Amino acid sequence: MSLFGGLEISASGLTAERLRMDVSAENLANAQTTRGTDGQPYRRKEVILQETPGSFGASLSAAMGANKGTQGGGVQVAGVVQDTATPLKRVYDPGHPDADAQGYVSMPNVDTVTEMVDLISAQRAYEANVTAMQAAKQMFSRTLELLR
Amino acid sequence: MLFDTTQLALERAIEGAGKRHEALAANLANANTPGYQRVDVDLHTALAAAVGRGEDTRSALGSLSFAPTRDNSAGATRADGSTVDVDAESAKLAANALEQQAAVQVAHARIGILKAAMGTGV
Repeated sequence: MSLFGGLEISASGLTAERLRMDVSAENLANAQTTRGTDGQPYRRKEVILQETPGSFGASLSAAMGANKGTQGGGVQVAGVVQDTATPLKRVYDPGHPDADAQGYVSMPNVDTVTEMVDLISAQRAYEANVTAMQAAKQMFSRTLELLR
Repeated sequence: MLFDTTQLALERAIEGAGKRHEALAANLANANTPGYQRVDVDLHTALAAAVGRGEDTRSALGSLSFAPTRDNSAGATRADGSTVDVDAESAKLAANALEQQAAVQVAHARIGILKAAMGTGV
């Protein structure tokens, strides 16, 4: 079913963008967390998105050389990884319980501006997927009108 | 024959628009996937080629597959190598939905004419 496929693809986009939003919110919430689950300062998390491989039938026909194209199957989350590339922030605060011998505290590598930009980009992408879903719905109900 | 090649072409156009919608929706779903290459269905070229076949039009229309293809002509618009431009995809999606609705309306009108001819009313 062509149009239901379109709805599913848009739904995968909604799920992915919602997760990005959740992860950005988590990063913002933990912007000052010096004790993460492993006892170390919190490190910002990032969502890795990847294209969903097409359906079995589409992959088979592509492998058989029936068509050069590959069926776009929406998006999926490959994983949520910690950002270890960006260094932790060092803040001088000798009174802090987690300060080291020199009086410096390692703060999370969360940059609120980056997170806000990620949030907005996730929100806009979410809206684009909702629009695609509405268009699919409209197309489908119009086609149903053929029966009337 | 009750349904002529025009009606068949309209049906195939509606189906093709559905497939194209799927491809464009996949592009939007992958708006934030690094290195993603956009896909598209070349609906118009395929339909035009089939309709211009004269006697073979019916079989040519029947064998249209509307397979999505990678659009390698689009250059990367972003630093992450993705070729998806959300605005352009949204515009294509809206245009595609309108084309589909136009085809549906023409098909509907033609069915109405048949119904009138059969005396069952529109």
